[in-house]
Amino acid sequence: MLVTVELFGIPRMRAGVAKTTAEGACLGEVLDSLARQFPALAEDCIDGHCLRPGYTVNLRGERFVTDPKTPIADGDTLLLLTLDAGG
Amino acid sequence: MMPKKNEPTPGYHGCYLRVDLSGNTSQRISLSESMLREYLGGSGLGVALLLAEETAIADPLSAEAAIAFVFSPLVGSPLTTSAKFAVVSKSPLTGRINDSLASSGFALAGKRTGHDALVLVGRATAPSILVIDDEQMRLEPAGELWGMTNSEAQRRVRERLGLDFQVATIGPAGERLVRFATISHDGRHAGRGGSGAVLGAKNIKAIAVRGSQQCGWADPTGLAQFAKQLSEKTFGPATAKYRELGTASNLLVFNRLNVLPTRNFQQGTFSGANRLSPEQLGTARERTRTSCAACTIGCEHIYSLGTKNGKKSDGVRLEYENLFALGPLCEVDDPDVVLKSSQRCDELGIDTISAGGTIAFAMECAERGYLDAPWLRFGEGPALLRALEEIGTGTGIGPQLAQGSRRLALELGHDTIDFAPQVKGLELPGYDPRGLQTMALGFAVGPRGADHNRSGAYEVDFSEAVDRRNVGPEAAALAIETEDRAALMDSLILCKFLRGVFADFFSEAAEMLQLVTGWEVSADELRTTAQRIVTAKKRFNILAGWTPAEDTLPKRMLHQPIADDPQAKLSPEQLQKLVTAYNIARGWSPEGWLPEP
Ligand code: SF4
Repeated sequence: MLVTVELFGIPRMRAGVAKTTAEGACLGEVLDSLARQFPALAEDCIDGHCLRPGYTVNLRGERFVTDPKTPIADGDTLLLLTLDAGG
Repeated sequence: MMPKKNEPTPGYHGCYLRVDLSGNTSQRISLSESMLREYLGGSGLGVALLLAEETAIADPLSAEAAIAFVFSPLVGSPLTTSAKFAVVSKSPLTGRINDSLASSGFALAGKRTGHDALVLVGRATAPSILVIDDEQMRLEPAGELWGMTNSEAQRRVRERLGLDFQVATIGPAGERLVRFATISHDGRHAGRGGSGAVLGAKNIKAIAVRGSQQCGWADPTGLAQFAKQLSEKTFGPATAKYRELGTASNLLVFNRLNVLPTRNFQQGTFSGANRLSPEQLGTARERTRTSCAACTIGCEHIYSLGTKNGKKSDGVRLEYENLFALGPLCEVDDPDVVLKSSQRCDELGIDTISAGGTIAFAMECAERGYLDAPWLRFGEGPALLRALEEIGTGTGIGPQLAQGSRRLALELGHDTIDFAPQVKGLELPGYDPRGLQTMALGFAVGPRGADHNRSGAYEVDFSEAVDRRNVGPEAAALAIETEDRAALMDSLILCKFLRGVFADFFSEAAEMLQLVTGWEVSADELRTTAQRIVTAKKRFNILAGWTPAEDTLPKRMLHQPIADDPQAKLSPEQLQKLVTAYNIARGWSPEGWLPEP
């Protein structure tokens, strides 16, 4: 499954890109694919198939997901962002 | 002769200074240990003091109304982000309780005067500076300071009295009783709800504090160790967002999720968001970082405004809230205008959120022909700057705007109240409640009105616990949890941006309070304390005239979806269910009345 990943805030700074693609049938696989592409993401935001504390993923601009087993469909869009939305 | 103090609990002085400005007198009043333990400090102690002063029934701009500057047991300790103070009064904008926090030297020096709080009542006979020098209090004529901007007035007071004084001031807006005027200290502001007007109504331009009295700590060694570990955690990922980008990094996320309030909440996305984002601003102009006193996070990102008359101009601190309110909300996408507007708000002493909210509302009223100000157009940077100037100087339409959006709507009629962006009179911060519906509940029931600092309910919306665009009553307990945590943080006082570093905030807060005071405090006791503080705010509001009908949102948000996200819609019935669930979960009547004591 090929998905689009949009990165915001710290994840964007670490990866150095605002948008990329990644592969995986579930959230954990997508995260793993991202971490391989961008080792700096692995250091701060992603730990293997999981998100590190303080980060979250939004699926299609709708609901937030963090469970690595969450199924991801081909063509989905994921947003990777910092969890804390405080202003 | 001041009475001699009893041996106080560590972390406290065990008394507050009550200043009667009308009589130019002051009195030191003891605070019992049980009151301190029940209300801690900051917002909690402030509300308790105002209840004792019966300020709830007073006109907030009258001489009778009290305003409290409240420190906390942690001020002066080595705990990171603890150099804070709360300003608590009845709000002239909402007529309800108002607690605003600010930071730095004023908190440290104010507590060193030997008091846990300063409570001001009465009215000075002429514009004055209130000087509290250790235990001595005096009034000095404000003289030429009256009319000065915040930074200039603070500089001049310190020149006059000495650099070891710390000074909080009001700007020209506070002098003119703008209902959303701020109190400013060292670039930080007790911003929301108009406490600057309360001080202005008392004829006080500045409060200068200096002191030499230190509090002891129950377990200094344990406290130092705890503080060191806490500071180390603030260098980690939980605060990276604040350190590296600042809160302004919310802008692109909120825009992507269609919850960035734009054109007075007519849209949830803004085409100019990229231009204003810190990611973009940081590449186009110089950015430096600074922090409040005693903070190891340093979330303040200062952007340069270029040069003026060949001289480098001062930088401007940019946060998400001033960025959203003076940018997308007014549909302004010119970064220079947003930075200048923000700087001008700081100097005039006006709350950026209420200023942006009121001006955006007025722009819509002008567009619809309800307000005679054809120049006031969405997207017009010069119009935004002119409106701010008129608010601060009381010229043109300034006096109308200075009332805030609710009063302006009631004056203009034509059902404009339906799209005035306020709850209880306080303008909404930058979270569209239709797409963040736990936050909608937090806004509706907020004791000081629509507010993101007293309820962190948006955190629930950013989690898997709810569907943010279709939230049910089960979210009420989660919203309460964030409100209770905020009440505790605001009373201890610790910065909210620290919250991510705690694995279990209530337990860790109990540990630090025990190290400071020696009290055997548990997480459960602090949960009860937080609930007591929230209830005290509600009690204040009931005394001030609260009715259940005011726990709601503007009609626009209950009858129209966000224009660019049709699924983000909230009905009056749905919000009412959330509010009822909240009240019941709080142990109040379904309408929100407190049980008989
Ligand atoms: S994190 Fe920011 S607001 Fe909080 S104390 Fe530090 S500098 Fe001040």
